[in-house]
Amino acid sequence: MADRQVAQLGPGAACCGWNHCGRRLAAGAVDGSVSVYDSQPSPSSKWQAHECAIVNVVWLPPEYGDAIACVCADGTLSLWEEVAEDDQLPTWRKCKVFEGGNSHILNVQFGLLLSSLKMVTAYSDGQVKVYELLDSLELDKWQLQAEFQNITDPVSRNGKPECVSASIAWSPRRGEGQQASFVIGFNSDSPHFNSCKIWEFEEAHQRWLPLIELGSSEDKGDRVHAVAWAPNIGRPYEIIAVATCKGIYIWHAGFNPEADRGLSTENVAVLPGHDGEVWQLEWDMGGMTLASTGGDGMVKLWQANLNGVWHEQAVLDCNGSRD
Amino acid sequence: MMPGMPAANGGAIVPFSGEPHHAASVPHVRPIRHGVAPPIFRVYVSWSSGNLLQVACLRQPSPEDGGGSGSEEVAGRVVEVNLGVGNGSAEVEKEVDEAEMRRIEYGSVPAFALLQSRKNALAGTAAMSHMQAVPEHAEWWQYVLEYSKTIGYLLGNPDSLPAPMIEDARAILKVKEKPTSLKAAWELLEIFYVDKQLHSWLPERLVDWLADYDSLLTKTDGTVYCKLSNFQKKLINLQIVENDPDYWNGLSAALSVGWLDVVVNMLRFHGSYQLDQMDNRETENGLVEAVAVLVSTMPRMRPDLPTGKLGQCCKTRPDFIKAWEKWRGQVSKLECSAFWIQCGHQKTRDGLKNLLHIMMGNIKDVTAATSHWLELFTSHVLYIRPFTVGFEGMHHLAQKCIQLKPSFDNNGLTGLLTGILSENPEVVLAECTKKFGPWMVTHAMELLAADNDYADIMLHEERPNFGGMSIEELHRLVYAQVLCSHSLTWQIAPTYLSSCLNQGLGLLEILLLKQPIQDNRLVLKTLELCRLYELENVSTNIMKIAGIFHWKHGRKGTGVYWFQQAHDKVRLDRIAQQLFERIGESVAADNFKQWEGLLELLGSDIGSAGGLEFLHRYRDFKRSLQQALEGRTAEAARQTVEFLIQLMRNPSTPQRFWLPLLHDSVMLLNCKPRPLLNVAETTLLLNKLQEVSMAKLRPDYCSNQLTSHALNSVRLALASNLACAILEEP
Repeated sequence: MADRQVAQLGPGAACCGWNHCGRRLAAGAVDGSVSVYDSQPSPSSKWQAHECAIVNVVWLPPEYGDAIACVCADGTLSLWEEVAEDDQLPTWRKCKVFEGGNSHILNVQFGLLLSSLKMVTAYSDGQVKVYELLDSLELDKWQLQAEFQNITDPVSRNGKPECVSASIAWSPRRGEGQQASFVIGFNSDSPHFNSCKIWEFEEAHQRWLPLIELGSSEDKGDRVHAVAWAPNIGRPYEIIAVATCKGIYIWHAGFNPEADRGLSTENVAVLPGHDGEVWQLEWDMGGMTLASTGGDGMVKLWQANLNGVWHEQAVLDCNGSRD
Repeated sequence: MMPGMPAANGGAIVPFSGEPHHAASVPHVRPIRHGVAPPIFRVYVSWSSGNLLQVACLRQPSPEDGGGSGSEEVAGRVVEVNLGVGNGSAEVEKEVDEAEMRRIEYGSVPAFALLQSRKNALAGTAAMSHMQAVPEHAEWWQYVLEYSKTIGYLLGNPDSLPAPMIEDARAILKVKEKPTSLKAAWELLEIFYVDKQLHSWLPERLVDWLADYDSLLTKTDGTVYCKLSNFQKKLINLQIVENDPDYWNGLSAALSVGWLDVVVNMLRFHGSYQLDQMDNRETENGLVEAVAVLVSTMPRMRPDLPTGKLGQCCKTRPDFIKAWEKWRGQVSKLECSAFWIQCGHQKTRDGLKNLLHIMMGNIKDVTAATSHWLELFTSHVLYIRPFTVGFEGMHHLAQKCIQLKPSFDNNGLTGLLTGILSENPEVVLAECTKKFGPWMVTHAMELLAADNDYADIMLHEERPNFGGMSIEELHRLVYAQVLCSHSLTWQIAPTYLSSCLNQGLGLLEILLLKQPIQDNRLVLKTLELCRLYELENVSTNIMKIAGIFHWKHGRKGTGVYWFQQAHDKVRLDRIAQQLFERIGESVAADNFKQWEGLLELLGSDIGSAGGLEFLHRYRDFKRSLQQALEGRTAEAARQTVEFLIQLMRNPSTPQRFWLPLLHDSVMLLNCKPRPLLNVAETTLLLNKLQEVSMAKLRPDYCSNQLTSHALNSVRLALASNLACAILEEP
């Protein structure tokens, strides 16, 4: 049998996230507890991270140890790391808590650039904050590097939007001389904030700039439910998948060094997505297969054929019976 | 998973057609058995290595959940799905088990690597000489043949079973190792694409192939093999074989596909051979024997005949044509002979005549004798158009045979053969993909392109739609992903990834970075692979990851070791700084041993950052002091004092260490009868002491637990030393 049960999640489990090699899983529960599973059916650690429900668990890059970020329903964010003394059993230690202030923290993602760790947080009022880790050994010292809204044109800023969720994906490119960039889109009542934009850090002026917007004129303001930036193992262009209420959009983004800050994008496919909201998008390690999950309880796998035509390759039905 | 390839139920891929894949075809739906009671509230997925997808299925959590006790129901389960297997597309999965497949996967690596290095060497030579590598190219197929033979042997050796101790005279079919369609497919490709020497005797090669693999042609329809093995079972209970129609059917079937040894062996079962029958059935027996002789002398155009095989071997075409004409004449002569009238046994007469008609190439009899279209095809080649060369008209003939004997069992082997005969490498590739899986495709591409320019271009052309990858590269990446999906095979994936010029190394980097670093042996293995493929930046990263893992998990020494290996200056400096700060906090405490080891590991070559240089001097001082106090030798004491003076003079020694340093030395100063410091040195130390006392008054002074008592004891010791020194000095 090709399917293997790897873990059994305890009561109240509401979200989960895997580490870089997919061997460790952290699950957040509605009671604010977090459990970590290490290829065993039962958790290796469990602790109370927050007072109320955890809505998202994200692992930090392994270069900073075994650490997770927990987004809580109360709008705060906490960072935890696994530590051990000598031959003691490892325990999870709270490193830092970020308060939402007047709004809620909706999501967080970590990006690794040369030798620094960056953290993007998205807030319910449409703010985006980028933090930088100051100490390469400890996760408690962060500096706010930038704070901006996900809009290209300051004129479009009118009032504070109400955001339900935010989707963030860092560019997985990590070679020398790579500029830091990520893509972010919101699910809010404001079309300007919703549309997915690629932001890039401009070293010369030490600021974040919106490079380009992923969206055609008629679809631009659609609520974004998920984004995923494909690993690039040698393509001359990047592939980014964006799920909106209309389906899954596959974008090619070509960084053109000749044009000044040139970046051209092309929407190469609009996939029907799921019967219901798309929950998650996830690229495989070669960036050739996209897995999506959605409200219909299905996992769908998407691929392009040799003609560059995208299609649904296979479907995993998770609505199954109990056998 | 197979990017660029059709879904399991899709049609053949024809990448040049420009026609998009029919999205209308329903994709393969696979139920996930997770055991969580529906409805499912959320599904999370994550790719781990290769085709492994982790799927977490969660139920709707209720607020009262959590806290351990509570509902009995499972809140969620995580299932690992291997998307590369179990989707029913690969025929091999059914007949080759996992361990056997792994043996094949491992076994084929050296042959593949050797062929690639030869290819690279040839390309290198050609590039150097700026000319067409024609002579080398002429030999290329021989390299591929050698590779093909190695892989073929790996897939199973039909002669590997020991011969039975007692030869059963009534055994029709020889007991052999169970043939696999993987090996059968491999041989087909070798016959048609690689072995140039075979081209002149292709029909014979096909007969041999069919003799080995006829049983695999179909599971539902009949075959010659099937007929014979059924008859074999029946044979034990038969008294008079020649009265059974299955005997004659078996004979004609075996003859139609050229299994001459089987025919002759079976003819000898004929009742007329029995001693008590000889007299009455002399003519009948003569006819049987005459047919047997004709069968065993049938001319065959091939370089040699293996022992046990019958027929007369003709090495050249003229010889063969001459022998064939003569043999055919003999067959016709026997057919017209008057002896038939004297043969009283009707079934024998009809049966033998039928055999003669097959040998004479009678279409009707040949068609009746065979079951599968490929058998019919073979008998056409053998008896109706024996002088066929190469592919000439073969595709047309195959079509004709398929029309006459349609097969509904869409078998990988026949599909493959149709593709080969229609000279369509795309179809061959698609059949390999669909029926035999990624291992086969990856290794078979070498055969396809061995001497076929069209296939060569088709496989190596860069496809802009696929990020500049070629089909060959795509298949290798797909196979590598399969290998990555298992902890026992990921180590061989790099061989295939490194053979991909465009994107292989990119995937290799990701693969190596995805390996868990908890297991030290695995880390060493991964680093070895990095070294082998010159991926320095990846190994640096892995070392950093390992470093932080051990550092955070209480193994400081191992952590520092890996940071050093990674030349992670930033972190090493940070560690040095931490160490420095910690020692500064409680320098008098006896944690000397603890930090001494760490300091040793950090080494001195990471610069003066974080006061590491000072720490080294401080360490030397501490050691020397210990020796001096234990051994109480004058020399050690003098050495210690020298270290002390050096430290106190050095501007890099932080002020907060002054008092602890002096305090450490009090015992030494007090225990010696003669002064250890001269006047000038003592004055220096007293001045420093004075500075420290002054600094105490400043607001930014950081105290380090040494009380004023310490200050006093140092002052007293220094004062008495000064007194002695003044007295001693001339």
